[in-house]
Amino acid sequence: MTPFELQEPDTLAEAITLLDPDDPAVRPLAGATALMLMMKAGLFQPTRLVSLRRLDDGLRHIFIDERGELHLGALATLSDIERSALVAEHAPAVTQACHTLSNVRVRNVATLGGHLAHGDPHMDLPPLLLALGARARAVGPHGERWIDAADLFVGYYQTSLERDELLSEIVIPSPEPDTHATYVKFTALSADDWPAVGVAAAARHRDGVIVDAKLAVSAATERPTRLPAVEAALRGATVCADTIESAAEAAARSVEPLADLRGSSAYKREMIRVHVRRALVTVTRS
Amino acid sequence: MSALRQIAFTLNGRAVTADVAPHHTLVEVLQEQFALYGARESCAQGLCGCCTAIVDGRAVSGCLYLAAFADGADVVTIEGLADRNHLDPVQEAFISCNAFQCGFCTSGFILMTRQLLEQNPDPTDDEIRHYLSGNLCRCGTYPDIINAVHAAAATLHKE
Repeated sequence: MTPFELQEPDTLAEAITLLDPDDPAVRPLAGATALMLMMKAGLFQPTRLVSLRRLDDGLRHIFIDERGELHLGALATLSDIERSALVAEHAPAVTQACHTLSNVRVRNVATLGGHLAHGDPHMDLPPLLLALGARARAVGPHGERWIDAADLFVGYYQTSLERDELLSEIVIPSPEPDTHATYVKFTALSADDWPAVGVAAAARHRDGVIVDAKLAVSAATERPTRLPAVEAALRGATVCADTIESAAEAAARSVEPLADLRGSSAYKREMIRVHVRRALVTVTRS
Repeated sequence: MSALRQIAFTLNGRAVTADVAPHHTLVEVLQEQFALYGARESCAQGLCGCCTAIVDGRAVSGCLYLAAFADGADVVTIEGLADRNHLDPVQEAFISCNAFQCGFCTSGFILMTRQLLEQNPDPTDDEIRHYLSGNLCRCGTYPDIINAVHAAAATLHKE
């Protein structure tokens, strides 16, 4: 790695003043696992990194508020989230996704905020947060704002965060009763590889009819992507194999998979069809 | 830029200091400043587990961990497990089960096995495979490693 300067502020406000809105060679650093890979590969050569590890703002919190919404601090590690009884109870699909996210050592160090702010379309939690209707709190020099998870990811390794904005927490709303959610990760090269396709779904149904459905695809696409047209077609449809098969078909047709060493665009399109079907079967099972 | 800074931490139970640059990794500092070679960089991507060290009770990949982050922490490496006369029960189990061949990956597997057994004292084969999926053995001693984990679990139950 090329040398750089490292700053370790004590407060979120101080960290924000140390960031530079105009200089891409200055970046915030939390667990550092993803950024270290980029630095070792020479893809990122920072002049200055602002470490968030000493922040005293308590950004590792995990709690449920009086409205039943689950708050996850941006500096909570993925292990903190994986092992949280509150997360397992309120958002079991998040716990499930964490079990197969990278490996134990990375989960011990990588943070939720870094996982999202990196903007890598292969990350496991973004599609699930989209399907769960989550939102992110971002703090910058002019105060804070809320960003819908669906609006956070705008392109390949691109988020809607300004260079001098930091995520402080993610909020997952209280699910409607009887909502089932899942994340399906398809790896093409080895069982522990990054996903070639990620699919997240959340749905509830009553008397054999789908009341609500949310669907997101990741990894094969340039960014984690909600599929509103497919969701709309599912709403009000009967729970049956035909409904699910046509939704899977529509999902596969509605995205442009990127070809890479994990497969051609056509192969990934087919894998999207297969895994959207499997995800929908899981979340509509009674 | 990149001036050296002094960090102070506990290394295998001993208070130590080291002068590190911001871009130095933990595994580099363990090798170059403390002559501890049990954690070694192999894949350099956090995938293989050969550089495993325990920081504040949690396993990390030493190749993806900035040495500066060890400031104030409690760091344990494979060299810190045995006392003068006795190996750790997990080390004993790996020997009695022949759970290594060349030994390059062994320190990582032993440290991860200790973490696994702290969290799950009686893991199934599947739980062992899943927990250790981030550790690679190119000699292919995986069946013996699973036996060793069970053997270590049995020893720890008796203690």
